[in-house]
Amino acid sequence: MRCERCGKELTNRIIKINGITYCENCARIMGYDRFLRDPSDIMGNPFAPLDEIASTLMQMSELDFGNSTLTCPKCGMTLREFENEGRVGCIECYNTFNDNIVREMFKQQGNSEYAGRLPGQTAATDAETKAVLQAPKPVKKTAVKAKTEEVKAETESKEEEKPVSAPEEKTEKSGLTVDKLMKADLGMLSDEDLEKGIKIAAEAEEYRLASKLRDELKGRKEGENNG
Amino acid sequence: MAEWYEEKGRDNDVVLSTKACIVRNIKGYNFMPRLDDKECQSLMNTIDGAVDKDIFAGGQASELDKDTAIRLIRLQVLGREGSQMAGAERKAFYYNDDASLSIAVGSGEHITVRAQAAGHDISVYKAAEKTVTDLESKLDIAYSDKYGFLTSNVRLAGTGLKILYTVALPAISKTEGGIAALTQRVGQYEWTIYPFAERGELADSNVYIIASVNTLGVTEDEVLKRGEMLIADVIKAERACREEIATSKKDQSEDIYGRSYGTLRYCAQVSRSEAIQALGWLRLYHDYYDAGDIKCSWNAINKLTMNVLWEPGVPLKKNSPSALTTSQKIRADGIRRTLKSEE
Repeated sequence: MRCERCGKELTNRIIKINGITYCENCARIMGYDRFLRDPSDIMGNPFAPLDEIASTLMQMSELDFGNSTLTCPKCGMTLREFENEGRVGCIECYNTFNDNIVREMFKQQGNSEYAGRLPGQTAATDAETKAVLQAPKPVKKTAVKAKTEEVKAETESKEEEKPVSAPEEKTEKSGLTVDKLMKADLGMLSDEDLEKGIKIAAEAEEYRLASKLRDELKGRKEGENNG
Repeated sequence: MAEWYEEKGRDNDVVLSTKACIVRNIKGYNFMPRLDDKECQSLMNTIDGAVDKDIFAGGQASELDKDTAIRLIRLQVLGREGSQMAGAERKAFYYNDDASLSIAVGSGEHITVRAQAAGHDISVYKAAEKTVTDLESKLDIAYSDKYGFLTSNVRLAGTGLKILYTVALPAISKTEGGIAALTQRVGQYEWTIYPFAERGELADSNVYIIASVNTLGVTEDEVLKRGEMLIADVIKAERACREEIATSKKDQSEDIYGRSYGTLRYCAQVSRSEAIQALGWLRLYHDYYDAGDIKCSWNAINKLTMNVLWEPGVPLKKNSPSALTTSQKIRADGIRRTLKSEE
């Protein structure tokens, strides 16, 4: 999920105000500091909750209903229709609903700047179809014995000439390897080791191991939050 | 009309097809939702005049006969439900000989150019781009320096480009947490993955679409390169999972593989979901076992998968028991004939 104002990926805190999602920084800039406060802050002021409610209601009426009647002068599309359908009616709508369109673009893509080619020009690209060389298809086991041996010999010779790019087992400074991780009691590993382990396992394409480690780490973090 | 998906594509054990879709709109006309019938007719005439008739056949959707419409569904120019044929007076479809290249008019945006190829083949982008640049040179296209190519759906504004890989992932689907891990990986590339299913249908096929998301803030080249890196990862992961299942559950896999082939080769009636499941097992274990009596190429598996997945009209008939039986018989007959031709 992204902040609908600046487009940055949301990490720790998600602040939703009038249906719009903000990151912590944008919420501050927009003057929504009170939404960032720890609930315990309110305890110091007995009238704070009433102030908060009144102020929020005022903000909502200003923000939510202010532009709802905005209409495109060319095609007659209203802002409400655009928000409901996600589609605009004509080129002029891009000017009329500019702010809302930019917000929608940020929400979806984290960007609203065009970087592509110009009309009539071709894109500079060198992408071509390439076979996935890193992962050769497995050699089929055949019932014909001679063929089996032939294939086996071929496979063995290929193994001998293993390309340099073949994945090698990485050893971290901590001494972690895929093999060690597979045998390890996950409960004995630190959070840091689990994080490193996920990277090592993913690089070695041991996705099962990576997901096991991830689940262990996730479980611990959830445990901490609940506790 | 030949069938583009019967071509032998690269990495076709995993990637069924690669597609590039580019959308454009024409200046001076409202976008489709706000275009009245008179303007729409004028738009269709304008575009018809710009389409290269040496390459493309077709025309107004209301003039397409039923057989052509069914053929276009099979060739994936139209969706399986044929829902694009609704409001046919306001739409047009143009397609080349093998329907690997097509132009849809009035389907969401004024123009949707689609290039498709069997297997893993990113050259589809260049094919789509060539058609689009030709249209751009003949038509006044809606474009702004700030947002790029303007579209009715603001999520497409910018390059208006979507790259889609259709992938069969029986092994990742059967691996615990496999799809969740893959979804995370796909998200890291800012792409998306979703199961192949039409509206109201159960996503039970192990076939997924991996599609690009961003049309702003990225060049076409970046989209293509990211897609190529991502699909290489997906292919590697699926093959690794197949290897794992085939070796760790060898006897079980061999048994299901043989049974699946038997079901498909000799069935008299077969439901869509049963055929899809059997094809999934055939795909999963195909490279690991050959007792000599199962004759089936990757092309045949892919052709059958595509035929079953893009079977026109079946969901519309499912309420009638006799129609259901008939469609199951027709499906079984088609599968049997394809497998027999492999022997």
